[in-house]
Amino acid sequence: MADALVAINGLGRKFSHSGSGWVEALAGVDCEIKPAARIALVGPSGSGKTTLLHIIGGLDAPTSGSIEWPALGSIKELRPRMIGCVFQTPSLFPALTAAQNVALPLILAGETVPFDDKVAGLMESFGLVDLSNKLPEELSGGQAQRVAMARALAIGPKLLLADEPTGQLDSHSAQMLFDGVFEHLEGTDTALVVATHDRNIASRMGTQWIMVHGRLFAEPDDGHV
Amino acid sequence: MLFLWIQGILRRRYLRMAGATAGVALSVALLAAISLFLVGASRSMTARAVAAVPIDWQVQLVPGADAGAVGNAIGQSVQVAAVHRVRYADVDGFEAQTGGTTQKTGPGQVVAFDNSYRSAFPAEIRPLSGNAKGVLIAQQTAANLHVGPGDVVTIERRGLAPAQVTIADVVDLPDADSLFQAVGLPSQAAPQAPPDNVLILPEEDWQRLFDPQQAIQPATTRLQLHVRLAREVLPSDPTAAYIFVTNAKRNLEARIAGLALVADNLDARLDAVREDALYASVLFLFLGFPGIALAVTLTFAVTWSGSARRRMEQALLRVRGATARQITTLYSVEAAVVAIVGTTLGAAGAMLFVGLAPSLSDTARIGGVTLLTVAAAGLLLGFAAILFPAWRDSRWTAPSTARRAVTRTGTPLWQRLGLDILLLAAAGLFFWQTAAAGYQIVLAPEGVAAISVDYKAFIAPALFWIGAAFVTLRLAAYAIAGKSKFLLAVITPIAGRLAPIVAAALSRQSRRLTIGIAMAALAISFATSTAIFNTTYNAQSRVDAELTNGSDVTVFGTSERPAGSHFAALSTLPSVAAAEPMQHRFAYVGADLQDLYGIDPIRLQRATSFSDAYFSGTAAENLQRLAATPDGALVSEETVQDFQLQEGDTINLRLMSAADHQYHPVTFKFIAVVREFPTAPKDSFIVANAAYIASMTGSDASEYVLMRAKDEPTELARQARSLLSTDPSLKVRDIGQAAHLIGSSLTAVDLGGLTLIELAFAVVMAAASAGLMLALGFAERRRNFAILSAIGAKPRQLACFLWSEGLLVLLGGIIFGLLSGLATAWMLVKLLTGVFDPPPEALSIPWMYLALVICIVTGSIVAAVLFARPSAISDVERLRDL
Repeated sequence: MADALVAINGLGRKFSHSGSGWVEALAGVDCEIKPAARIALVGPSGSGKTTLLHIIGGLDAPTSGSIEWPALGSIKELRPRMIGCVFQTPSLFPALTAAQNVALPLILAGETVPFDDKVAGLMESFGLVDLSNKLPEELSGGQAQRVAMARALAIGPKLLLADEPTGQLDSHSAQMLFDGVFEHLEGTDTALVVATHDRNIASRMGTQWIMVHGRLFAEPDDGHV
Repeated sequence: MLFLWIQGILRRRYLRMAGATAGVALSVALLAAISLFLVGASRSMTARAVAAVPIDWQVQLVPGADAGAVGNAIGQSVQVAAVHRVRYADVDGFEAQTGGTTQKTGPGQVVAFDNSYRSAFPAEIRPLSGNAKGVLIAQQTAANLHVGPGDVVTIERRGLAPAQVTIADVVDLPDADSLFQAVGLPSQAAPQAPPDNVLILPEEDWQRLFDPQQAIQPATTRLQLHVRLAREVLPSDPTAAYIFVTNAKRNLEARIAGLALVADNLDARLDAVREDALYASVLFLFLGFPGIALAVTLTFAVTWSGSARRRMEQALLRVRGATARQITTLYSVEAAVVAIVGTTLGAAGAMLFVGLAPSLSDTARIGGVTLLTVAAAGLLLGFAAILFPAWRDSRWTAPSTARRAVTRTGTPLWQRLGLDILLLAAAGLFFWQTAAAGYQIVLAPEGVAAISVDYKAFIAPALFWIGAAFVTLRLAAYAIAGKSKFLLAVITPIAGRLAPIVAAALSRQSRRLTIGIAMAALAISFATSTAIFNTTYNAQSRVDAELTNGSDVTVFGTSERPAGSHFAALSTLPSVAAAEPMQHRFAYVGADLQDLYGIDPIRLQRATSFSDAYFSGTAAENLQRLAATPDGALVSEETVQDFQLQEGDTINLRLMSAADHQYHPVTFKFIAVVREFPTAPKDSFIVANAAYIASMTGSDASEYVLMRAKDEPTELARQARSLLSTDPSLKVRDIGQAAHLIGSSLTAVDLGGLTLIELAFAVVMAAASAGLMLALGFAERRRNFAILSAIGAKPRQLACFLWSEGLLVLLGGIIFGLLSGLATAWMLVKLLTGVFDPPPEALSIPWMYLALVICIVTGSIVAAVLFARPSAISDVERLRDL
């Protein structure tokens, strides 16, 4: 337990919904994420994947059960230094260039060490060198997601959460994106949790978690959940 | 589908809808309130003007004409309230023996009013000592003859033996100019001075004494019918009332051709007031139009602020097959809601505002046509503000570009063409043209029905205002888009280490920011210029009123009963700050009897104010010069022109000696021209040293006492009236009464209503332009802030972005707004020189109001930032969009 990045017990999340009372997005979820884990979170739309990722990332709070980040610290310390997030749609800050977006977590974290080389290296890893000075609205969907991924990795988080990052990409772009991610994470302890419908992406991950109606199931050969 | 659309818009885009609705409501409310003011101002101007006319028409019968027939003709021409007879007789003079001496006057007139005349025209005769019954003598004649009640006066009749009468009372004839005017002279003829000597007899006595004179010299007697029209039939608009009265007079002239001549005092008064009415309209345009333009611009700016979101909505609709017509229909529903709700709220707000404002409460009656016009304008604005950008986007924006929230923008065409500089240069040119014409923007030739406004004069401030807005955009863009050191320096205190990244983000949103700054600047400029104009106007109104009244409170007496005899008691009244006596005598300049003021040039400044505009040169210089020249005289411009005087000339005036009550020559030295002087008439008068006049006439009596009040002049006036209650011949008037009585200049128009509207709306619009625009901008970018939050920005870091933007809008708005507002106010005051009498020497700055505006704008920006700071709950909702 001490080396787990995230430990979840009996976690539930309900949303109020006008007209129909409460909607239960998550119920009785138990799991833990260890360093260097590669987890694919799969399941039909509306099964609770995004909600679970938001709670793991400290962006949302459970309505029941508990979540702890034993190796990451308190919830206030999670972002940007410990957890990086990538969302389904390109979520770049529109008023900043691609390079500035990548550097943004470093700036927000108050990084004192010069980071221009680090940013340049990431831009190169994700094939973004020529796009450094482009505004988000001048990028294609795939380019924007690569920038978002580079941004999530810029600070070297212990946990990278990606919520269907290839949902709007063709399979080639999707593979390119994850080629860059795996290359960057190789040899690090950074854990990766990816919510995806893409079987190819999911198959490249070590662990498969399946979500159905807000409940989490593991693949038979995986004993974590 | 339409219902679903509007339901969705109301639920998800309520702030944008509320902003646009507020813009329409503001425009409608301002337009309605100003229309109410204009209608009310015209009505009150007409009412005040006609109330100041004691005799509407003087119909003078030719000798032998039938008075009954003429009276009937009058009744057929127009609805009248009263018609009364007045008889005049020319006499060779009057004589009286008092105190062992005999005084004789020159030619004069003896008049008689019918028995009920005084109840219909009460302002014509003011009793000075008794009840004004029996034989009355004008106060100047009484002074000339040195007679009072009980004394006998001999009347030198023409061609008949002298007749003797016993004086019952001394009276003042306040309206002598009109009462004794020559009827039937061409309008270009110079006005005739009233007779210096007047005696008033009961009608029966007059007939007994002057019917014989009429029989032998018919040309020396006259019969007039004095007419008061039924005022309720007069149109409320001064110009319409002028035309109505003029036409009625012409109708009468046609009916009584050969029988009588008509002097129309009412049309002469309305003729003068219609110029003021036109000035009121000009003020409406100068002060009101920018406010309405600002409200309309604000409405469009609000809808523009949602353009990125709207383009995205349209893109979604279009990729799902919606046609341009279908999209326009959907937005028509949104426009209808905004237009109808905004117009209704605006109209209701205007009515409520008018109901709450005391100065407007009597103007609340407004014509249906005006209300419909205002409502139509509101509906049009609501539809235009929503539909035009929606239509433009649906026509010209491709779905791919529609999704762009932030794009690189080149230098706008207007900026490349230097439109802002051209506009300012053109404003300067038009202003110079108007200045060269002496700022004559309202032309109302006397006696001519047509009146005109030099509308070119409006172009200068309009171009300046627009040019200043464009310059604001240019300079703000230069400061923001260029990622300048200036921008970094401004935001570093707030953004700290985030300043470079915040500056980078702000510089890429320079268009949104500069428009926000320009809107705030325009609103602050409007508030500033209106407030400065209003304060300057009020200050000048006070100067005008003080000029007319003499000081805060003035006690008016006569040579017989000088107010100066009570000076010691008056100067110790609790509310007196300073009191000074002033002589008011009469002096013959050649054959003209003119007002002569005897003053202590140094001490009088304690009790009243002297504007430099009263003199050629400064007031201090002229008064010092008079003090240094014991026999010096400041002479009015008209007298200088009439008598071709040169500075340094010796002038001989004839002043009445207290010893023998005869006029004797006294030598003065003409040292300078005086244009205006406290209590003096506008045309001919002379100012000299009181000590010199006293020594030359043997009387140091001071007819007037001028008092400056410690606090409220009305309280001092009350104390003075109480002190002087035993002496009804002394008249106490405070500056407030004088302001009400001034009828010849626009300062008489109660501008309070207009400026109350303007100042209140200016504050609201300043707050809306800064805070609302900022809040809407923030609301449109909530997703961006959610992104920042999701990648780890702490609340204080998010606040750096918000506060930096707020600070830029605040600083830019205040700096550009105050500067352009000051310049606009200066231009307005110069252009509207005709409104002021005398023109102001400097602008009056309403510091408190400006501080209030800045506080409210700051408050609105703070509120917008606090409103935009994301909460945990809203973050979770917005994260679903990521």
